[in-house]
Amino acid sequence: MATNKIKVDALVVGGGISGMQTALDLADQGYQVALVEKEASIGGKMIALSKVFPTLDCCSCITTPKMSAVAHQENITLLTYCEVDHIKQNGKGFIVGATNKPRYVDMDLCTGCRQCEYVCPVDLKNPFDNNLGAIRAIRVPFSTAVPQKVVLDIDNCILCGKCQTACAVDAIDFTQQPEEIMIETDSILLATGFEVTPKDAKKEYGNGKLLNVIDGLDMERLLAPTGPYGHVLRPSDGKEPDSIAYVQCAGSRDETLGVEYCSRVCCMYAIKQAMLLSGALPLADITIYYMDIRAFGKGYEQFYQNAKAMGIQFIKGKVAKIKEDENQNPVFRVEMVDEGGSVVEHTHDLAVLSVGMLPSFDPTPIFNVPNDTDGFIMTPDQNFSASLTMIPGIFAAGAATGPMDIVDSIMTAGSAASAASAYIKSQQNGKEESSSKIADLQKESQHA
Amino acid sequence: MSDKQTKKEKMQILKELREQYADSVAKTQAHLKEQQSARRLLKKAMKTGPMTVPEIAEAVNLPSDEVLWHIVAMKKYDLVTEVGQDGEYYKYALPVKEKKS
Amino acid sequence: MPEKKDLQKDNEDIRIGVYTCYCGGNISDIVDCEKVRELTETLPNVVVSRTDMSMCSDAGQAMIEEDIRKHGVNRVVIGACAPSLHEQTFRGAVARAGLNPFLYYHVGIREQDSWVHHGNHEAATEKAIVLMNSGLAKARLLKPLKPIKLTAQKHALVIGGGVAGLRSAWDIANQDIKVTLVEKSPFLGGRMAQLETVFPTNKPARDSLHELIEKVIDHPSITIHTQAEVKSMSGYIGDFNIKIEQISRGVSSELADQEAVIDSCPVEVSDEFNYGLKTRKAIYQAYPGNFPSTLAIDWENCTLCGKCEKVNSSGIDLKKKSEIIDVNVGAVVVATGFKPYEPRQGEYGYGDFKEVITLPQMIRLLALNGKDKALMFKGRTVRNIGLIHCVGSRHVPGIHEPQEDGKVNDYCSRVCCTATLHMTNDIRQHYPDVNMYDVYEDIRTYGRNHEEYYKQASENLVRFVRFQAAEGPQVFASENGNDQPLVIKTKDYLTAGLDIEIPVDLVVLSVGFMPNPIEELTKILKINPGNDRFLQEVHPKLRPVETAVSGIILAGTAQGPMNIQESVTAASAAASKVSVLLGQGQVELEPFVADVDHDKCNGSGECVQVCPYEDAISLEEVTINGKVCKRAVVIPANCVGCGSCVSACPNRAIDIQGWTLGQYESMVDAIAEGMLALEVSA
Ligand SMILES: Cc1cc2nc3c(=O)[nH]c(=O)nc-3n(C[C@H](O)[C@H](O)[C@H](O)COP(=O)(O)OP(=O)(O)OC[C@H]3O[C@@H](n4cnc5c(N)ncnc54)[C@H](O)[C@@H]3O)c2cc1C
Ligand SMILES: Cc1cc2nc3c(=O)[nH]c(=O)nc-3n(C[C@H](O)[C@H](O)[C@H](O)COP(=O)(O)OP(=O)(O)OC[C@H]3O[C@@H](n4cnc5c(N)ncnc54)[C@H](O)[C@@H]3O)c2cc1C
Ligand code: SF4
Ligand code: SF4
Repeated sequence: MATNKIKVDALVVGGGISGMQTALDLADQGYQVALVEKEASIGGKMIALSKVFPTLDCCSCITTPKMSAVAHQENITLLTYCEVDHIKQNGKGFIVGATNKPRYVDMDLCTGCRQCEYVCPVDLKNPFDNNLGAIRAIRVPFSTAVPQKVVLDIDNCILCGKCQTACAVDAIDFTQQPEEIMIETDSILLATGFEVTPKDAKKEYGNGKLLNVIDGLDMERLLAPTGPYGHVLRPSDGKEPDSIAYVQCAGSRDETLGVEYCSRVCCMYAIKQAMLLSGALPLADITIYYMDIRAFGKGYEQFYQNAKAMGIQFIKGKVAKIKEDENQNPVFRVEMVDEGGSVVEHTHDLAVLSVGMLPSFDPTPIFNVPNDTDGFIMTPDQNFSASLTMIPGIFAAGAATGPMDIVDSIMTAGSAASAASAYIKSQQNGKEESSSKIADLQKESQHA
Repeated sequence: MSDKQTKKEKMQILKELREQYADSVAKTQAHLKEQQSARRLLKKAMKTGPMTVPEIAEAVNLPSDEVLWHIVAMKKYDLVTEVGQDGEYYKYALPVKEKKS
Repeated sequence: MPEKKDLQKDNEDIRIGVYTCYCGGNISDIVDCEKVRELTETLPNVVVSRTDMSMCSDAGQAMIEEDIRKHGVNRVVIGACAPSLHEQTFRGAVARAGLNPFLYYHVGIREQDSWVHHGNHEAATEKAIVLMNSGLAKARLLKPLKPIKLTAQKHALVIGGGVAGLRSAWDIANQDIKVTLVEKSPFLGGRMAQLETVFPTNKPARDSLHELIEKVIDHPSITIHTQAEVKSMSGYIGDFNIKIEQISRGVSSELADQEAVIDSCPVEVSDEFNYGLKTRKAIYQAYPGNFPSTLAIDWENCTLCGKCEKVNSSGIDLKKKSEIIDVNVGAVVVATGFKPYEPRQGEYGYGDFKEVITLPQMIRLLALNGKDKALMFKGRTVRNIGLIHCVGSRHVPGIHEPQEDGKVNDYCSRVCCTATLHMTNDIRQHYPDVNMYDVYEDIRTYGRNHEEYYKQASENLVRFVRFQAAEGPQVFASENGNDQPLVIKTKDYLTAGLDIEIPVDLVVLSVGFMPNPIEELTKILKINPGNDRFLQEVHPKLRPVETAVSGIILAGTAQGPMNIQESVTAASAAASKVSVLLGQGQVELEPFVADVDHDKCNGSGECVQVCPYEDAISLEEVTINGKVCKRAVVIPANCVGCGSCVSACPNRAIDIQGWTLGQYESMVDAIAEGMLALEVSA
């Protein structure tokens, strides 16, 4: 196995909005940065969203330029389809071993023309569309992917070789093997983001089996201009729904699931989706069942009030159960808190679970970067060092440090970059004072 | 690729890989077979004109969610087009064959 | 201008590439982009015309680059979203392909067309064509330009010495950039100093704050001025000239007889540190252990009676002095913080009943009361407390009365819910017998570990009562004979909207955040508040700490309600931005500045008179064909390209580079022609 070696000032793990912003903030200061992303394209969850609250900017319009900026920033070495295997302390810095997974495509030759994708006979469920749409076994992951290169899913390939014949530049290479990369770095920034609560987490809500009970991310894809159906249709039969209902806190603030925290974004994305839906389906009734609406960010409360004024129904109620009638319509059993707790049944065409955010990556098997009780990366002092981890030289940003929205992710990215820069500077100038204080803080709390 | 593989080498490589990945290839081939037979049925049913998903599902006797997925997959690669709406459902049709020039 | 000549190739063959973006449907759902493409393709000088789902994507940009490299495109016109969003992106792409980035012109066909002409596809398409056509007209006249490069001062000014300002200062200084920190009051620490233990760490606020203050004071690259304010600013990013007014403290150093000095002062004023629950003297400290530890004279309230000077003549100087300090900085961080909302007279009984106080007052009351004895307020034991949320926040027009400026506080202050519940836990711990009623609309304990306080409050038997905005709670005096002086009446939506009455000894209003009054400062810095009166960022999603004035950065609650963690994070993010801007010692400005044609200029000077900016344009002696004469000369770094001089010049000698009169005329002509053509065809 060939081993490539690179030496950088900072290694950023995760290419979502947090990782991209962290990498840019450091690279723009002149640092050499490597960005490792496990998927075939950077962009994270944000690139799959429809529009963003509260500005209603189209998400791909504001994410793609960031992705492109990362790709073109000379100080950033972008490593996609790559995973970190081990981390070793190296003085005050680190040696990181990562594996480039085989794409079965020569990155230098591939032009992203997608001729191979067009001839591939195998249609698969498209992970980018949360499995609602379809994609071929060899494909550009999505239309605005960076890098704009194809990747072959060897586990779902019949190895017919049609793609190889179709490729005009002979870029497809079935002999590719995993490639090891050694990254020597002064600092590491974890921006590994989040996953949403699995649909089957709440057994009461159909256990993930009901076709017309979807989650917030599914709805993002249905609403996106590049979405799987081209319209908002329900998955059971392609019907345009007339009545859509949201279940808030589906997987958050729920001791039975061990998730006691609030996921912070689900109230706002539900309100946003409700607004977009009332634009896309002007006649549809949209109901949001909630316990508290948490529209706390800048401009968010105003956004919520606008939604109310648009006629979106907010009902304070606990959804106890969702089952399905003979037409696959979800039937809600709701305890109506506003009405003194009476229990009623409501039938809708489509149910959306406002699922919460769970940590996506546990670093502990690779290196002892401790997690907090909520599963997100632990920080020594919530108030003063939200972007530090318990290990000096390792920092964290974005949803890896707890649920947060895009603007908060960008803020924490800036703050992580600031802390990392001070650390790198102190190491390279041999100056102790600034970072030693950070390190002190980290050590202190480790003992506490 | 520094040294280009010849056609023969490529065939050989694929053949070896097919052995190595025998299980997943078999699984995918089964999936493909199902996909192809469903598509044949769909295409046959749709010859009669534009149809909605439930209409197609009834005609081919497949679950409507599966039909929807096939339609979406075919639409993505221009094998089916959307032609207007019938109440709450969209209608889909096979693309009009362009005359070969 | 010798430089310009070598950029310019005379008689160059103009080859335009036209690119119309679908914007993922945002444009193409309304505008027939393919028609735009077809029509523009046939126009003079156009060599390629293309569309793409998303031109700003890597693939879209690569396509443009390829056209420049392979098809010799040397002018680029892109029809897409607003230029504010992606002009930089496309300039980058054009430059990468080896073309001068200013040979590209951006036409906004989303904000200016597809988003505003929803119902009318045909007219929107026609408009897009007309707009693109005028863009093409300009593109034919585009000249290469060079951005203005300036050296940047590696020095930043931080305004505000609260936790956000302090943290920004420290983080910036750690990037090898000098910092000047200006605090208006005599003491550092801001509002955080007034808190006791804080969520979510439950650590004593002042302990952590003092640690930070000490680090800031010790840092060799940070200079601190208290009792100081920014009085003026000129210049531009990388090179701002700031005048700071520093008022004398009146006390030279820590006094050994501090207590006696304070006691000697006859003036008693409301003590803002304790939100008016106590009084203080005119020579004072905010609290024991504050920074700097030297006493200060409150010049507004000091009567200059001289009593304190009699006690200690060497350390006190009652002559108020003011000094102007000039600093030259590359960037400014605004961290001027917030003030708690002050309820109106009569709002929930505030001002009418002495037993109605605010949350910040309650926090001070608990601190002053001391622990492990009965909770007393104005001589009475407190047994029942009513807490009302969202006071001065989440106001709905039509339901709530507007503020003095006619606006309602329609935002959520986001800190008050958790702060209130955190306090109930404190109360329960020290005063186990007190009953607490929490009257709320929604509980917003959103942050990491915040939900814990909600849970604890429920376990602590805080009773929750939920109101709806339209039927909010009201506070009345109790009928005679009641034990408690006040009663809260409200509908409770946790019990089917029942009318309930809660008799209480004390009502605590969870007041929201308001920005500190900094109108003067915003005028000096030329930055703007948003609708909610807090300072406005350039882009609320993508560029949360930058303002519309480049080089002026926001940190902390000056921008909106935030807790400590959020203020500190924002402060670090601001430091990162400052470091990005100044770290390289150089900044780049756009070249859209005035440019004088010395052959046409006759030195009459109208331009100098109309220019609203300092040192941007002046008459200077220049030598033309061996003759010395006066001509207008522009200092590009000071010119903002407003165009005032262009309109004033009687000789048409001035143009804004990149936006010349000739270019404007060609664009207007093209639009007029387009309209005419449409009329004819109709
Ligand atoms: C349904 C929904 C709607 C939303 N809508 C909005 C909205 O409208 N506005 C808003 O502000 N926010 C919204 N959000 C929140 C927003 O998605 C997040 O704030 C944001 O995506 C967080 O970015 P991140 O970079 O921290 O994490 P992610 O986007 O999760 O990115 C993490 C990246 O790291 C990669 N990664 C993970 N582990 C590894 C590893 N071990 N090695 C290498 N790479 C790794 C992942 O593949 C991923 O690319 C929404 C969230 C949801 C669920
Ligand atoms: C009742 C209450 C309880 C709270 N409890 C908690 C808690 O438990 N946990 C938590 O995390 N957060 C809490 N907070 C929030 C916390 O107080 C703020 O997040 C924090 O103080 C904000 O810091 P700042 O630096 O942005 O602003 P400030 O603390 O307001 O500092 C701003 C500074 O700028 C100075 N200034 C203003 N104008 C000028 C000018 N023109 N020139 C120079 N200087 C100027 C001011 O004098 C001040 O020193 C609470 C807030 C309140 C109201
Ligand atoms: S943001 Fe809203 S829906 Fe999400 S967990 Fe918090 S309260 Fe529940
Ligand atoms: S944080 Fe709570 S009390 Fe404060 S304004 Fe928001 S909802 Fe109201």
